[in-house]
Amino acid sequence: MQRYLVPDVIGTLARCGLAAVWLISGVLKAVDPDQTYVAVRAYDVLPEAGVEIVAAMLPWVEIALGVLLVVGAGTRVVAVASAAVLLVFIAGVTQAWARGLSIDCGCFGGGGAVAPGETAYVEELLRDTGLVLLAAWLIVRPRTLIALDTRGN
Amino acid sequence: MGGASRNDKKRRQEASDRRLAAAGIRPEAKSAPDRTPLIVVGAVVVVAVVVGLAVWFVNRPATEAVTPAYASEVSGAVIAAGTGPVVIDVYEDYLCPQCERFAERYGDELTAALNRNEITVRYHAIAILDPLTNPEGYSTRAANAVVCSVPAGIFPAYHGWLFDSQPVEGSAGLTDEELIAAGTELGATGNFAGCVTGGTNSPAIAIETGTAAADPSLRGERGFGTPTVAIDGTKIDLNRTSWLQDAIAAG
Repeated sequence: MQRYLVPDVIGTLARCGLAAVWLISGVLKAVDPDQTYVAVRAYDVLPEAGVEIVAAMLPWVEIALGVLLVVGAGTRVVAVASAAVLLVFIAGVTQAWARGLSIDCGCFGGGGAVAPGETAYVEELLRDTGLVLLAAWLIVRPRTLIALDTRGN
Repeated sequence: MGGASRNDKKRRQEASDRRLAAAGIRPEAKSAPDRTPLIVVGAVVVVAVVVGLAVWFVNRPATEAVTPAYASEVSGAVIAAGTGPVVIDVYEDYLCPQCERFAERYGDELTAALNRNEITVRYHAIAILDPLTNPEGYSTRAANAVVCSVPAGIFPAYHGWLFDSQPVEGSAGLTDEELIAAGTELGATGNFAGCVTGGTNSPAIAIETGTAAADPSLRGERGFGTPTVAIDGTKIDLNRTSWLQDAIAAG
């Protein structure tokens, strides 16, 4: 098993990293439902009722994905789901960027709103792409250390 | 290459199986794909969705609308609603999505308290998000329209309509025609249309916005923003959902 140690460790780090991102972002969204609603609405792709429902479910789905990754249950399935959600996020940010929408809540008016806006889009897309790569690793090679999936091995 | 190497692999596999059998080891039979992970993940995600919908359902504001039964008057860009003893200053920009959330969450509670004559709400019409529509300036036009709605006798209803119909940041915003048509539908009296197209209250809104932005007691972590609520000149933490009940109780 020694020869698989390095890829196992890489996989484990990918799993933990992705888990941390889902848990942190899910909890932050869950404790501030209004902010989540505003954020989802700002993408301007869903009708009002759709925004309500997506904003209500998204934090809990993110937390669920995070918990599954932490315990390492069904890692490949969770990685596929994570990649799918991330690709939706990337599509949302890209269309907002392309249409020139201001994705920041914008509730704090005042100067400097124009210049940093552009950087934020690039950062968000790079971050999401990085997370997709983590998910991709786990889809290709879901074997990790200290996971329910590999118990008894 | 495929066929040959597959045959080769198969041969080697069979040979290895024979060796294992000779040693008394039975290789695990190839079983159907294990569906357990799919089922476990599906179940957990379904639970999450149910939790999300349950939380949302419980936190929804009551659907039975409270009918406003209070008078309002305007001075500059400040609309004073009701005459109750506890005076609440609300600073809002009609393009600000968080202000829409505030109106959605606390609108009925405020109306009920106004009806009971427990509070006076001073709505400050603020325009800090003018650059966020294309063309710019929706915040000011909407703020102007809501101030126009007071003498037109349609105030609380028009205020509610503005948030219900709130355009998205980055859009063109509602046109003057749309702002006027909604007022007419609600039964606006006097020269509401002229007040909207003429931007009658725009200078007062600019002054009010400047005054509010310069008031250190209204500043949050990132400076002045909307919605801001102040009681006796002290900014209220809107994360404490009982702020209104507490203020009324404190008298």
